[in-house]
Amino acid sequence: MSIGKDIIHDSGIGHVTGESIFIDDRPEQRGELHVGLVLAPIACGEVTAIHTAEALKHPDCAGIYTWKDFVHQKWGPIIHDQNFVCNPKINYMAEPVVVIASTTRESVEAIKKLVKLEVKESPGIFTITEARKAESILSKASAPFIQGDVEAVFKKSKHVLEGHFTCGGQEHFYMESQAAVAYPLEGGQIEVHSSSQHPSETQRVVAEALGLPLHHVVCVVKRMGGGFGGKESQGAPIAAYAALVAHKLKKPARLILTKDDDMKITGKRHPFEAEYKVSFDDAGKISAIKVLLMSDGGAYADLSSSILERAMFHLDSAYFLENCHIDGVCYKTNNHSNTAFRGFGGPQGTMAMESIIEDIAQFLKMDATKVRQTNLYQGNNLRTPYGQVLENNMLPDVMNKLLDSANYEARRKEIDEHNKKKTGTIRGLSMTATKFGIAFTARFLNQGNALVNLHLDGTLQVSTGATEMGQGVNTKIQQIVSHVLGVPHQDVQVMPTSTEKNHNTSPTAASSGADINGAAAKNAAEMIKGRLTELAKKVFAGEPADAIKEYEILKGELDSDIVFADNKVTQKSSGKEITLKELIGKAYFNRISLGAYAFYKTPGLGFDKVTVSGKAFNYFTQGMALSEVSIDEYTGEMKVLRSDILMDLGRPINPGIDRGQVIGGFIQGMGWVTTESLYYDQKRNLVSHSPTTYKIPNVQDVPRTLNVDFIPNPDNHVNVYGSKAVGEPPLLLGISVWSAVKNALSYRANGKALKLKSPATQEEILMELERIR
Amino acid sequence: MRNSIILFVNGEREELSPENSFMTVAEYLRYKKGLTGTKVVCSEGDCGACTILVARMQNGKLGPYKAINSCISFMYLLDQTHLITVEGLKKDNELHPVQKAMVENHGAQCGFCTPGFICAMAALTEDAKNEKFPLEEKRVKNYLTGNLCRCTGYDSIIKSGCSVDLRTTPLLGSFYDDGKIEKELATLKGSVRLTFENKTIFLPASVDEATLEKKTKSPRMISGSTDLGVVSNKGKLALTEMMSLNNIASMYSVEETATHLIVGAKASLAEIEERTAKAFPAFSNNLHIFASPQIKNSGSLVGNLVNASPIADTIPFLRVAEAEVVLRSSAGERVVNVNTFIKGGYKELDMRSDEIVTHIRLPKTNHEYKLYKVSSRRDLDISTVTMAVRYTLKNNVLEEFSLALGGVGPTVLRMNQIEAKAIGQYFNQALFKRLATDVKNSINPLSDVRGSTDFRLILCHNLMLKFCDEVMTDHKISFQEISL
Repeated sequence: MSIGKDIIHDSGIGHVTGESIFIDDRPEQRGELHVGLVLAPIACGEVTAIHTAEALKHPDCAGIYTWKDFVHQKWGPIIHDQNFVCNPKINYMAEPVVVIASTTRESVEAIKKLVKLEVKESPGIFTITEARKAESILSKASAPFIQGDVEAVFKKSKHVLEGHFTCGGQEHFYMESQAAVAYPLEGGQIEVHSSSQHPSETQRVVAEALGLPLHHVVCVVKRMGGGFGGKESQGAPIAAYAALVAHKLKKPARLILTKDDDMKITGKRHPFEAEYKVSFDDAGKISAIKVLLMSDGGAYADLSSSILERAMFHLDSAYFLENCHIDGVCYKTNNHSNTAFRGFGGPQGTMAMESIIEDIAQFLKMDATKVRQTNLYQGNNLRTPYGQVLENNMLPDVMNKLLDSANYEARRKEIDEHNKKKTGTIRGLSMTATKFGIAFTARFLNQGNALVNLHLDGTLQVSTGATEMGQGVNTKIQQIVSHVLGVPHQDVQVMPTSTEKNHNTSPTAASSGADINGAAAKNAAEMIKGRLTELAKKVFAGEPADAIKEYEILKGELDSDIVFADNKVTQKSSGKEITLKELIGKAYFNRISLGAYAFYKTPGLGFDKVTVSGKAFNYFTQGMALSEVSIDEYTGEMKVLRSDILMDLGRPINPGIDRGQVIGGFIQGMGWVTTESLYYDQKRNLVSHSPTTYKIPNVQDVPRTLNVDFIPNPDNHVNVYGSKAVGEPPLLLGISVWSAVKNALSYRANGKALKLKSPATQEEILMELERIR
Repeated sequence: MRNSIILFVNGEREELSPENSFMTVAEYLRYKKGLTGTKVVCSEGDCGACTILVARMQNGKLGPYKAINSCISFMYLLDQTHLITVEGLKKDNELHPVQKAMVENHGAQCGFCTPGFICAMAALTEDAKNEKFPLEEKRVKNYLTGNLCRCTGYDSIIKSGCSVDLRTTPLLGSFYDDGKIEKELATLKGSVRLTFENKTIFLPASVDEATLEKKTKSPRMISGSTDLGVVSNKGKLALTEMMSLNNIASMYSVEETATHLIVGAKASLAEIEERTAKAFPAFSNNLHIFASPQIKNSGSLVGNLVNASPIADTIPFLRVAEAEVVLRSSAGERVVNVNTFIKGGYKELDMRSDEIVTHIRLPKTNHEYKLYKVSSRRDLDISTVTMAVRYTLKNNVLEEFSLALGGVGPTVLRMNQIEAKAIGQYFNQALFKRLATDVKNSINPLSDVRGSTDFRLILCHNLMLKFCDEVMTDHKISFQEISL
C-alpha cells in the first residue's frame, strides 16, 4: 500500500527537533573515558621511539597504547595489510601511532601533546607519476577488458587521438566525523556503537584487534551522520581504538574524531589518471579505444582493487565500444589509504570517457552531443566491454526526452552566438550519462538477512543489515514491510542495525542497501504473511480450534485470494474479512510464529574476472544530465546556470527519497569536479583539512535552474518491487558540469587541445584559459 | 562586580559558574545541558551545524533573534541574552512550522546538519515576519549560506524554506515569555569579571572601565570571536586574559551624520550591511557575499580591521574609503586614518597596548566604489584576492583613483604608485592594460591553499581590466572589445 508513496523519512521528526541520537549524543556513562589519537608527523619512515612518561603523569591520563597492545596487528577489508597503529613503519602523514585515554574530554588534546615521538624519515611516493616510475603497485586488473583488435582498427582509422586525463580525489565530508563508543560487558565481551556502514566488518575488526571470538563482540549502528563510502571500511579501526581502551580499562570509551583529524587520517575518493588512444570516423563514431586507468590507492590496499575494477566497468559510460582494450593499475603511495566513495571508481571511469568524447567533438569541430548520440548504446549495440549485454536499455529514450525537455538545440544555438562575442563571459553546455552497474562485483557480498517481529497489537519491528546514513533505506524497508502486511507504515519500526540480530551482513554500499535488505525484509514479512494467510483461510472456512485442537500451519503459502490491506485480512472469493489484530491474536494463541528471519541473495550473478565473462551486474540504473555553465573570463569564476536531470529508477519505492538521492548525488558529484580540491604541502600534510579550505558546494552553488525527472519504466522487473538502486548512479551526472566547463573553454581553444583537469577549480579554469589564449 | 554569567536557555534562567562560562556555547549546550541537538562538525564557524538563535538585551528589551555559530562563541559572550536551540523550537509537542516544512519536503536526510538549518531557517522566518518580506528562493538561500549539507544537494531544503506559511509561524518573542526574561535581565547592572584557572574575562559596563582595564592589564580584546574562537578551538592560541565590550550598549550603534557613517566597535557586520546600503552600496553588496549570516551576526567591522588579516574582506574598502579609526585610552581619544593605522608588516598596527578601538568612521563622499572578492567558492569562502577601487570620472578623466589589494602581501596593500599613474589620465583600455601590467609587476604574492602565485598575479591583472570594462559600461563609454 505504501510502495511508491512519498512518505516522510522515518527519522525526519527526530532530525528536525534534534532528538535523533548520533554517537556523541549518547549520554556519558559513569567513568567513561575519552580516546584520542597521536598521529604520525611524517609521511614515510618509521617510529624509532615513543616517549609516554610525561603524558602518563597528566592527572587525567588513564592509559596510553601502542602497537604492542593490539592482539592482531593488521586489518583490512580485502587483505589485512594495514597496521592498526604504526608498527613501526609510517606509511602516510597523520597515520595513527598512539592511542591515549583521558578521564575528561577537555584533557585529550593536552595528553596527546605530551606524547613525544621520535621518527626516522625516508623519501615517500606521493603521486601516480612517481609511483609509476618506481613501479610501486598495489594491484592490477586481473585481466584487461578486450573486445576486437584495437591495434588493427587504429591502423585503418581516419582519426586517432591520444591523450591524458586526470581527476582528483574527494573528501567524503560526512557531517558526522568518524565516531565510536565501546562498552565493556561482562565476561570480557564488548558492545561497540559505531558510525559505520559495515557493522559486521567492524565486529570482526574489533574482535581481531582485541583477540576476541566474534560472539563476544556486538556492533550496533543506529544511524550515521552521512557515510558516502567513507564509513564502509574506515570506520572499523576507529571502533577498534575505542574498544581497545574499553577492553583494557574495563570502562566505556568513546572516540570522536574532530573534522580536521578525520580529514587527515581517513582515505578519500581515489585520484585517477587515464592514458588513452581512440580512433573514430568523421561522424565521431568510435571505432576503437585503448585506455589504461591508473589510480592512487594510497598507503594500503583497502578496497582499491575493487574500485579500480569498477572504474574499468564504467569506462564505457553509456557508449558502445565495439573494439576496446581497457586495463587498470592501482599504485601504492604514501598518501592516506584511499577508499570507497559513492560511485566506487565508476565516476572516474565514466569521466575519462566523457572527457574523451569532448576531445573527439573538439577535434572534429562537432557538437559533442552528436558524438554522444552516435555512440550511445542503442539498437543491437548493447554489448559492454566486459561482455554483459544491456537489458531494458533506457538510454536512447532518456537522451531523446531530455534533449527535448531541456530545449537543447535552441540553447546550443544561443550559446554559439553568445560565445562568438567577447563579453567577458563564456558559456558551455554538455550532456553526460550514468549507466551504473548494480551489484557488488564481489559476488558473495550480494546477500542479506532480515528479522521481522510482528507484535500482538499489529505493529512490527524489523531488523536488517542495512545501515541508515540518511539515504532512507530504513524508510524503504518500512514501506516494504508495511506493504506486505497491509499495515500503515507508521506501524513498522526499523530497529538499530546490530550484529546480534543480523549476522555476516554486507556493507550498506554499492547502492544495494534497499535492494538486498529490502528484499530480505520482504521475504521475512511474506513468511509471516504466508502463515497468517493459511490461518485466515482456516478461520474463514470455519475450521474449529479449541482447547484440544489448535490451528496447524503447514507451509504458510501466500495466496492471492487472501488480501492484507488497511489492517484487515480479506478473502476476495468469499468477501469474508477479519481484522489483522484479531488474526494475530488467533495465531498467537494457536502457537503460530509471528516472527520470521529470512535470507536473500541476488540471483543470476557470476562473473569471471580472468576470462572476463559472465554476468557482473544484476541490472543498470541509467540517466543523463544536461548542464549549462557560465565562466567569467577575467577571473575564471564559474556558475552553473541550469541542470536538467532525467533518471530511470524503475518504479521507485519512495519517489521523494529518490529525488533527494538524485539531487544530493548530483551536487556531490558537481562538488568533486569543481570546487573540491585536496591541497597538500611539500611534506604531504593535507592543508585543506576543514571546510574553511576544502569547499564542498553550499546552497548558493546549486544550479540556478534545476529540473529533475524520472522516466517511467514499467518493464523493469528485476529488483524488489521493480525499483532500482539510486544511491550512487546520480553522482556521476555531476560530471556534466565539468564537461560543460570543458565545452565552454573549447570556444576559446583556437584549435589547441584542452588539458582541463578535474576539479575545474576557478584557478584551473583561469590558468587553462590563460594557456589557450 | 558579578562573577557569573546570567542568561536564558529555551526560556529557562541559567547562572553559570566561571568554569562553565569559559566553555564554548556548543560544548555547554551539549555536555552540560544535554541539549545534543546542537551539533559540532568543523569547530570553525564554517558549516553551521551548531547554529542557535540568540536575542541580546538592548535598552531593556530583547533584540531580534539572530542565528550564530555556537561552536566558536563562548558562554561569557552571551551574558544577558536569551538563547534558543533546536530543541526549544518544538513547543508543547508541536513542531515549529520550519520543522514541519523540513519533514514534509525531505529537507533532512542524515540529520546531522538539520538542527543548524532549522535554526537558520527560524531566523529567516523571524526576520521575514518582522521585516515583512516573502519567503522567496533568493532570501531562503541567503539565510542558509552559512549551513553546509552533504546529503540533500539543498534543493529540498530550499523548497522547505519557501513552503513555510508565515501566517501560522509564531514570532520567537511570543514563543517564550520574553517579557519575563527582559524583566529579569534588565536588573543586571555593572561589570562582570570571571576567573577560572589561568583564564580571565572582564566584561566592562562602560568604556572608561574598559580603558582602565586595558591600561592596567592589557587584556586581549574579543568581540564576536569569529576568528579567536577558531584559533582557540584549533589549539593555536590560548585565550587567557580577555576583555569584551559585549555588555556596553553604546558600542552597538551605527550612526549617520552629515559627513560620516560612524560604526561602533560592537556593531555587527549584518547591521553594517544594512546600514551602508545607501551611503556605500558597493560595500554593502560586498558584505552580502562576505560571510554567512551567522558570522555576520557575530563579527564586527572593528574586529575585522583590528584582526588585520591580509585577506580581511573589509580592509581593502576601508583603505580606499580613507576610514578613520577612533582609538580610546584612559589618556583620551585619538583618530587615525586607516592607511596609517595599518603599517607595512603582517598584522602590524598603529595601536598602543593601552588603546582600544571604539569606532570606525566612514567619510561620506561622492566617489564611486568597486569591490572585488575572488575565492574558490563564491559565497562564504576566504578570499584568494580582494580588490577595492574608489574613483571619480569627470569628462572621461580619472579625478580620483584609489586602489587596494588584499591577499597579495603581508597586509592589505594600498597601491599608491599605481594610483599616481592613473589620476588625471583619460580613462581608456590602453591605460588599464598598462596599469594591469604595472600591478602585476609591483606585487609578490604567496602560493598557498587558496591559490598559486601565478593565479594571484593573473587575477590582479585581470581584475584591473574587469574594473576598466565595467566602468566603461557603467559610464556608457563606447568600446569595441573587452580589455582581455
